[in-house]
Amino acid sequence: MVEKIAVAVDDLTVAYNYKPVLWDIDLSIPEGVLMAIVGPNGAGKSTLIKSILGIIDPIAGSVAIFGKPYSKQRDKVAYVPQKGSVDWDFPTTALDVVMMGTYGSLGWIKRPGAKEKKQSLEALEKVGMLAFKSRQISQLSGGQQQRIFLARALVQDAAIYFMDEPFQGVDATTEIAIINILKELRKAGKTVIVVHHDLQTVPEYFDWVTFLNVKHIATGPVKDIFNDDNLTKTYGINYKVAVQK
Amino acid sequence: MNPSIEIQMIAAVTAAACAIPGVFLVLRKMALISDAISHSILPGIVIGFMITQDLASPLLILLAAFSGIITVILVEMIQKTGLVKEDTAIGLVFPALFSIGVILIAQNANDVHLDVDAVLLGELAFAPFDRFYINDTDIGPKALWTISVILLITISLMLAFYKELKLSTFDVGLSSALGFSPVILHYGLMSVASVTTVAAFDAVGAILVVALMITPAAAAYLLTTDLKKMLVLSILFGVSSAIGGYWLARLLDASISGSITTVLGLLFLGIYFFAPSKGLIAVLLRQNRQRKEVSLLTFLLHLNNHDSTEERGVAHLQEHINWRRVRAKSVLDLAVQNNMITIENQVVSLTRKGLEFTEKALEYIITNKDEKIEDMKDDFFLFRG
Ligand SMILES: Nc1ncnc2c1ncn2[C@@H]1O[C@H](COP(=O)(O)OP(=O)(O)OP(=O)(O)O)[C@@H](O)[C@H]1O
Ligand SMILES: [Mg+2]
Repeated sequence: MVEKIAVAVDDLTVAYNYKPVLWDIDLSIPEGVLMAIVGPNGAGKSTLIKSILGIIDPIAGSVAIFGKPYSKQRDKVAYVPQKGSVDWDFPTTALDVVMMGTYGSLGWIKRPGAKEKKQSLEALEKVGMLAFKSRQISQLSGGQQQRIFLARALVQDAAIYFMDEPFQGVDATTEIAIINILKELRKAGKTVIVVHHDLQTVPEYFDWVTFLNVKHIATGPVKDIFNDDNLTKTYGINYKVAVQK
Repeated sequence: MNPSIEIQMIAAVTAAACAIPGVFLVLRKMALISDAISHSILPGIVIGFMITQDLASPLLILLAAFSGIITVILVEMIQKTGLVKEDTAIGLVFPALFSIGVILIAQNANDVHLDVDAVLLGELAFAPFDRFYINDTDIGPKALWTISVILLITISLMLAFYKELKLSTFDVGLSSALGFSPVILHYGLMSVASVTTVAAFDAVGAILVVALMITPAAAAYLLTTDLKKMLVLSILFGVSSAIGGYWLARLLDASISGSITTVLGLLFLGIYFFAPSKGLIAVLLRQNRQRKEVSLLTFLLHLNNHDSTEERGVAHLQEHINWRRVRAKSVLDLAVQNNMITIENQVVSLTRKGLEFTEKALEYIITNKDEKIEDMKDDFFLFRG
């Protein structure tokens, strides 16, 4: 059986101010996996996601989503940015932020209506944030803000989800709630790609993993490649983690 | 129409036209750029004037707006080198362009009827003299027509692209990921701001243009957490300051632009102090109340912890409460008012209600749910600090 490739990255090089932060990345992610991207701070994890999504222009290389350029596949991709990349004091409510997830399918000029509102309320319900729908977003806690962004990705109803550190600063309950939603997405056949820092939980949460540190180090099933060798190559030090069988 | 009404209409329409792009400039933290644009359009205006000999001609407006866009592009180019920050880049670009404008005026002083004073301050009082004629019929001041057309265009663009502007202002990343190019939206907004600035500057001068763009939006921002309301409030503030400023000028026999700017400033100051939740007074009151309530809570927990009468003496408790931060007496009063404690012979004891309150608070603190204490206060407190 030939696996369908959800995301194919080919010879990708990205630079900020002419200083390369990603070198010659080749990566292919099969459809239907729940994959972690791991690597130290500044490894270029966020940059990789942003260049896959066309938010940053690479200086070389190309990206394909289900075999086509991203610009033709926008409706198939949802994205949860790393915290702090939005203006929290912006005059907008939780529900409003979630509704922004529907803008992509609406296209230019058309306004969201009753259908979009209903979808957004359902997504809020799913992440347990319905009670906060009218709160201004800066008046939410860090974990609650993270849930709002997850809900926003859910209403995009995409085939591929990119999440940049969704577990950053959330408590254990929220972390479990989020990972359960991600596992549900995978069960529904979606591809979920998550930047993750807690190496201990990689084997428990994910079935695939990518090691990244400026260069691409390895990508594959957790059970095959999540080992000391790759961890050492990525983090530079001899990293001991108990890999659960 | 008499000139008085015409002047007020010009001022009001200009205020509304400035307020709309102003809201987005303020939210994008780009207030400075409007200042830059309003100055650096000068060379465009001078060149446009040399060609058209008419300050209200559409060609001049476009030429001048174009130099506004050039400002934005130059600022971004300098910023992209990574050598200086945005405000520095703005500071480098607009004086350069403005001085080119000033030199152009000086060089052509004989045939350009423009002077720098008029550019900066404008003179609304003269605006009605420049009339618009169709087939020799006088249909009102030119400035009113120009700025009304621009207001209409601005409103239609804002209604059409409201969702896109909101998204790209709030979250550039998602905006570009969903295919709403932040670059196009940015330059669209800058074009509107430039065109509005040029059209408004003739009537009201560069300084008032900046004030009309930024002040109403900044004031509205303090009053609401809803973008639509912020837009409506900004327009209201702008228009009412314009009309209020006109009458103030009449009363004081002063410059109209200057008076409008003054009214705008006063309005902002008032809101800055008195806004219900983000205003200075509200913030100070809230901080004071929170301090008092935190002291009250630590004080009640202390009572709960210590049984000996010695530890529960009023004098000792006053030491326990941090004197420098709040007055111990006000904390004690608050506790009594809320029926949390009783004081007998200078010894304090928790009431049943006080006990219930502290136990619950303790439980929340231990289980790391501190935020729930806030909600609990609503249930327990009749009076708050
Ligand atoms: N806007 C920018 N301008 C210049 N350099 C940048 C910019 N954004 C990131 N960088 C640099 O690019 C490199 C990769 O950054 P990136 O944000 O992709 O790292 P990351 O792997 O996501 O790190 P973290 O784990 O801290 O989120 C870093 O060295 C960073 O300093
Ligand atoms: Mg990152």
